[in-house]
Amino acid sequence: MKNKLLYTIIYLSFIFLVVLPVVYTLITALFADDSFVSNIGALKSDTFLLLAKSIVIAFLIAIFSTFFGTVLGFLLYKMKTYFRGFFKVALLIPLFISPYILAVAWKDLFYLIFGDVSFLSSNFGVILVLTTIFTPLSMLIIGGAFSNVNVQLEEAGFVITNRRSVILKITIPLIKHALISSFVLVFIFSISEFSVPAFFGVKVLTTEIFTQFSAFYNYSLAILQSALLIFICIILLFSEGKHIADASFLSVGSKGMKNQSYDIKRWNNTGLTILVVWFLITVVLPFVVLFIQSFKEGASKFIQAFELLLPTFGSSIGLAFLGALIIVFVGFTAAFFSARQSGKKGSFFDWLLLIIFAIPSTIFGISLIKFYNQPMLDLIYSSYMIIIIAYVGKFSFISSKLIGNAIRQIPKSLEEVAIIQGISSYKRLISIWIPLVMPSLFISFVISFIFSLGELGTTIMIYPPGTEIMPIKVFTIMANAPQSLTSSMTLIVFSITLLIIISFYFMMKPFIKKYHYAID
Amino acid sequence: MKILYRTLVVFVLMVSISCSKNSNEVVVYTSVDQIFSEPVLKDFEKETGIKVKAIYDTEETKSTGVLNRLIAEKDNPQCDVFWSGDPVRTIVLKNKGITVPYHSAVADDIDLIFKDPEYHWTGFSSRARVLIYNKDLLKGVDVPQSIFDLTNEKYKGKVALANPLFGTTTFHIAALFSVIGDKKAKQFLNDLKKNEVIVATSNGDVKKRVMNGEVACGLTDTDDAFEAVKEGANVGIVFLDQQGIGSLIMPNTVNLIVKSKHSANGQKLIDYLLSKETEAKLAISCAQMPLHKGVDTPKNVPSLDHIVPMKINYDQASQKLEEIQDYLKRWIDQ
Repeated sequence: MKNKLLYTIIYLSFIFLVVLPVVYTLITALFADDSFVSNIGALKSDTFLLLAKSIVIAFLIAIFSTFFGTVLGFLLYKMKTYFRGFFKVALLIPLFISPYILAVAWKDLFYLIFGDVSFLSSNFGVILVLTTIFTPLSMLIIGGAFSNVNVQLEEAGFVITNRRSVILKITIPLIKHALISSFVLVFIFSISEFSVPAFFGVKVLTTEIFTQFSAFYNYSLAILQSALLIFICIILLFSEGKHIADASFLSVGSKGMKNQSYDIKRWNNTGLTILVVWFLITVVLPFVVLFIQSFKEGASKFIQAFELLLPTFGSSIGLAFLGALIIVFVGFTAAFFSARQSGKKGSFFDWLLLIIFAIPSTIFGISLIKFYNQPMLDLIYSSYMIIIIAYVGKFSFISSKLIGNAIRQIPKSLEEVAIIQGISSYKRLISIWIPLVMPSLFISFVISFIFSLGELGTTIMIYPPGTEIMPIKVFTIMANAPQSLTSSMTLIVFSITLLIIISFYFMMKPFIKKYHYAID
Repeated sequence: MKILYRTLVVFVLMVSISCSKNSNEVVVYTSVDQIFSEPVLKDFEKETGIKVKAIYDTEETKSTGVLNRLIAEKDNPQCDVFWSGDPVRTIVLKNKGITVPYHSAVADDIDLIFKDPEYHWTGFSSRARVLIYNKDLLKGVDVPQSIFDLTNEKYKGKVALANPLFGTTTFHIAALFSVIGDKKAKQFLNDLKKNEVIVATSNGDVKKRVMNGEVACGLTDTDDAFEAVKEGANVGIVFLDQQGIGSLIMPNTVNLIVKSKHSANGQKLIDYLLSKETEAKLAISCAQMPLHKGVDTPKNVPSLDHIVPMKINYDQASQKLEEIQDYLKRWIDQ
């Protein structure tokens, strides 16, 4: 009873605090002034051409990311490549840095090397930069699936055929769901991305939405165009819903299954070379460019950048910490009931999380303003609560998927035994479920924390006056500041994110050791 | 459960801290780059004891944040004062009924052309639209002196301007339409397009492309251009059309928001921003040209007395802007 009550409270809170503002804004925007029909009429063939272009670009990014993610995932999770522990963490870094910042670094890098960046300011540039950013996500998804491949099937294959055939005919087909999940998620992230196409001057549907929104102040059309994007995402997720729901992507460990790792000396060296090259290109080079530009006039600009950002550290880290805790709480609740209940309520919660996740940041920000900016809701609107609500809306889907996959791996027999013993549902939750998914809760917390720390698109629309938030300060100071100051600020944010990832990695080691039974 | 309780306690604490109401405060939204606006607001805070709560934005993001936020907050305004980097945004707000008149005596000696007739906004420190050029790529007589020179064959593919749907570039184009008429202005833009003009993402991007030598010259604002000089780039600055239609002058503007919660403090802040002292500070930090007479400025800051301004009415130019937006969008998409 206690569990159900808790679930109902969380479920209703999410609907009222996060979903209702979006529904309210959609309805008022679409039916405001004229009529729904005239707004629909405003969608011209140009919009659909742009949608087609956005789909092609997102498709290519998803294909490339999934391909590279498969290679990296295989090397890190399926082979005994040297230093794979290090690379598992290090290669994730681009995923946690603001795409805009990485785009700036890439452009500067190309300028330093080639002296010409015109070919980067094109579809090619968008595909290149976003592929480097989203490949780690694919790597994580596909790597998780590689870890979960049933060793007995592979061993059976080895009896009758060689390693190559086993990989191609048994291992790869077994991770098909993860490949599809990777493709779908990267596609959604790419098609919703605004900052990189805008930076490279490439016109896609998100930049068109931005133009309608900020040049024409045409909210209705902007929201209708956003609805097209959301519709595409939902269709895609619906058609692949089974894979997304069932695939063990983003999972931590593989309970009850032994992983088969290949130890082939010849491949290990090639694998290590590939990992080192990828690490150099996607992590080291952008970092070096920022470093060179930061210190080309001495350390003074770096010190100035640090002083400017110093007041933001406390509030940004505090908010991201608190946001991540609540996100994990919401994610766990949604995942737990979705995995354990076959009822519609559980899956509906999943869909709600997904729809909010797919909404463009600016539209989500405006929805929160329109709904919460009422005298009686001032407590929420003019406080940090509005930022926490934004974080929870944006990132609970990822948390729920991450935890959900861990929950699905726990044998039902454990709970059945507890039920026979007469143990209450609350006690079962506290003593069985939570300890068994603890590593996933921890990973989910870390990912939510880092995403919240870097969130800009929605936060810039809603942050309370007088509040100092790190990504916003970087963004607003960047304009008109000297290049060295801009690079220094970017370098500091980059380093802080890196430091946090490393700290969490070392914190996680004893933690996972403690809960090893939940992983092995 | 302990974690949950601790989280709730921290949450309540953070909320109560962030909600602590202080009547002696003023909320300001500004589209002026934070690096220039923040020191002025901090000085106001120090000198008056009034706590300033600011929301910053930037032209790099086309000021989407603050302007859309002000529009979305119309029915329950949180902001007291909007300090804009140009008159366009303020006039958009005025037309949407979001501003309220305030006549500041501090600005009495500022020319009437820089004020709204009903005092919905008042201008101060101004920037101008200029040509920035790379001295390695353009020398002597090759440096354009008129905006119309940019359609010349010899500058094919060598000129950049920011997206004309946003920021001060929109205003520049709208001003051209009001001064030379729609037909000539459209012809100029079409010729510019034929000459393979590069549409950059922002004025800052134009500056960077010129500094890097990716293009020979570009149209930008004085603050961007002077920043490039300050950074040691080998660039020059030209006030265009000094023998013709003149250069576009764009004052900062400030206005009071309708139904503002701290309007008395808002008026004090407006008076402070319109003062000679603030103009002097902005002249030093970002080479903005004072509109008051007799303000001490650094040598590199030109005086408005020596620049031929484009003769425009800011309200009419803003209206023109709304009229030509569809055309500009088609022009970009060509």
